[in-house]
Amino acid sequence: MTSAVSVRGLWKRFGQQVAVAGIDLELPAGKFIGLVGPNGAGKTTTLSMVTGLLRPDQGSVSVVGHDVWRDPVEVKARIGVLPEGLRLFERLSGRELLAYSGRLRGLPGAEVDKRASQLLDVLDLAGAQHKLVVDYSTGMRKKIGLAAALLHNPEVLFLDEPFEGVDPVSAQTIRGVLERYTASGATVVFSSHVMELVESLCDWVAVMAAGRIRAHGTLAEVRGDAASLQQAFLELVGAGGRDAGTDLDWLGGGAAR
Amino acid sequence: MSTDVTAVVVRLKLSLLRNGLRQSAGRRAAYIASAVLVLLFAALQLLGLILLRGNAHAGSLVVLLVAVLALGWAVMPLFFPSGDETLDPTRLVMLPLRPRPLVRALLAASLVGIGPLFTLCLFAGSVIALARGAVAYVVGVIGVVLALLVCVALARAVAAANIRLLTSRKGRDLAVLSGLVIAIGAQVVNFGAQRLGSSGLGELDPVADVLRWLPPASAIGAVESVSEGSYGVGLLQLASTAGALVALIAVWSRHLTRLMTSPDGSTLQAVTEAAVRERTSAGPARFLPAGRTGTVMERSLRYVWRDPKTKAGWVTSLAIGLIVPLFNALQGTGSIYFACFAAGMLGIMMYNQFGQDTSAFWMVALTISSPRDAYVELRGRALALLLITLPYATLVTVLTTALLGDWPKLPEVLGLSFALLGAMLATGAWTSARFPYSIPQEGYKNVAPGQTGLAWISIFGGMIAAALLCAPVIALTIWLNVSEDGDAWTWLLLPGGAAYGAAITLLGLRLAAPRTAARLPEILAAVSKG
Repeated sequence: MTSAVSVRGLWKRFGQQVAVAGIDLELPAGKFIGLVGPNGAGKTTTLSMVTGLLRPDQGSVSVVGHDVWRDPVEVKARIGVLPEGLRLFERLSGRELLAYSGRLRGLPGAEVDKRASQLLDVLDLAGAQHKLVVDYSTGMRKKIGLAAALLHNPEVLFLDEPFEGVDPVSAQTIRGVLERYTASGATVVFSSHVMELVESLCDWVAVMAAGRIRAHGTLAEVRGDAASLQQAFLELVGAGGRDAGTDLDWLGGGAAR
Repeated sequence: MSTDVTAVVVRLKLSLLRNGLRQSAGRRAAYIASAVLVLLFAALQLLGLILLRGNAHAGSLVVLLVAVLALGWAVMPLFFPSGDETLDPTRLVMLPLRPRPLVRALLAASLVGIGPLFTLCLFAGSVIALARGAVAYVVGVIGVVLALLVCVALARAVAAANIRLLTSRKGRDLAVLSGLVIAIGAQVVNFGAQRLGSSGLGELDPVADVLRWLPPASAIGAVESVSEGSYGVGLLQLASTAGALVALIAVWSRHLTRLMTSPDGSTLQAVTEAAVRERTSAGPARFLPAGRTGTVMERSLRYVWRDPKTKAGWVTSLAIGLIVPLFNALQGTGSIYFACFAAGMLGIMMYNQFGQDTSAFWMVALTISSPRDAYVELRGRALALLLITLPYATLVTVLTTALLGDWPKLPEVLGLSFALLGAMLATGAWTSARFPYSIPQEGYKNVAPGQTGLAWISIFGGMIAAALLCAPVIALTIWLNVSEDGDAWTWLLLPGGAAYGAAITLLGLRLAAPRTAARLPEILAAVSKG
């Protein structure tokens, strides 16, 4: 199996805090890959380092065989990114943002406009294409971000929390586009803490907690004997045994005292 | 029934005021301090106006003051929309109110507060400064009441007409520009005051002759007319203010009715209206070069207009770059070399280029994979800037020269301007790569907390460096001016300065590009703090 992304000995510290503590990971090509973990596990930091937006303290990352830091020309043309917590050029309209993004990547203008129209249609943004992105809702922002990430037809797509704060209708649209995209042999790597979503979408998962990879492999391998990915995940991150029931025994029951 | 509504709304205003103060000790202290300051100022100007009594130009000054204050009332709701919650009548939309009682009630409520009190003091002082004779005082009382009501109704009418704007994102964008309007206004007032200081209050007379007929200043003008015995003129002036009041209330009432009976700004309808208007701005982009250069230029130019922070920076630079050389030339104190100020001010816009992108810089960072990409990116931004600055700096220089009548100096000043602009672009590109910092998108701050030092290094270090880089051209200018038959050769400074500016810009971009390409993650981290 060829790997789309290969990570070796990746470290990142912010002052005293260790965000990513030595990750080794081989992500298989052509799969729908979920990077799951609780808040603060280091998912965003990892994805930022893998996509070249954050410089690691140590370690190496290569995407489709090219080193991210030594060979940016090869890597940047092959990846699409939708980061979390970073702005877009929000004073452009949706269509202008796509036109800008595509032309910046060196695609011919006419081709950019054609692809942009199709993406806007498929993602249900055609009606809002001339509205400034600053006036978009969360779901619309994620969708226009996804469109910008897909515009140059990348081999590997990195999405940080693509479904966070997105309504069910938009989520279904995003899902449809991503499924069609992976079916063509491309790789999607996305982070999430919603296990049901990961379970229903992914065929390969890596579980992260406290800056380390706790488990990785196909969905079946990681789930093991557990009833659901959620259950397996809670056990992996060491939260499985915690039961709130005994501490809050006064809660509920309607006797208001 | 209507008196009830008035009393309720006035009480509501008082409660809002009281509760606002109860929220925090800091807010209370700020309010009390500003109240004391405003009252002190009101008392001082009252005293000043009383002392002015009998001055031949008192009428002109007073009329101007009233007009400026009225202008303040008109723009206040645009810049401080959250200042008065009862100003937003859509909050009362669920109550069964008829327009007429509502207008009355809201008007009465607007009269409560420090602002109206200050206005009342100024108007009263104006009457005392002007009035002679019992009739004049009677007219004065009527005039003050009318003028005050016009001011309040003006503010209400403007707010009601623009409430959609004020409660929307565009309104918040506008608020960012408010500090700027005040700053530029202060420059103009400062200049005006200097002129008055040097040539006396008589300067005001021509302006005042017009304002005397413009409501609400006409109500105060009436006092002067009556004092001089022109009862007919006085009556006409009073009538013009009264007419304005009726008209304003009618306009306000109509907007109010429409506001209360149609969906508010947060619903979809307003959004689609806005969307249609955004559509019509693709035309001139056709003339930009193809590829990354044109793309970057187009985005930069769009941001000059659409991003409130960028726009505020540009408007400041454009205004100050024009005001300083021109006003100095008008006053006769200026030197033609002040025209270089425009180039200097506009060159500042090249500084912290990536900070202006905010964290959206990641979109740029992901498309830069070589120093060449970074070079084209920076060059595109510099070209976008030049598209505005080059004609503007030329215009300011020509205007300043025309005012001073020193045409032989035009070529050398233009040459100096272009050299300075080039040096600013060069240092701007380099500091953009080396000392980037975040520009917070909300509020008035232009530097994120903790990055002030960085911003100072970037801007002031860059400006000093730019001045040093210009040294050869400056030295040549001085040498040609002092040497015996150098005057015959000063025209050489125009092509020389322009070529020097272009060369140094290219050099700056060449030096900045590899740095930018090598520091993308660091730049992104530095500009993402806002």
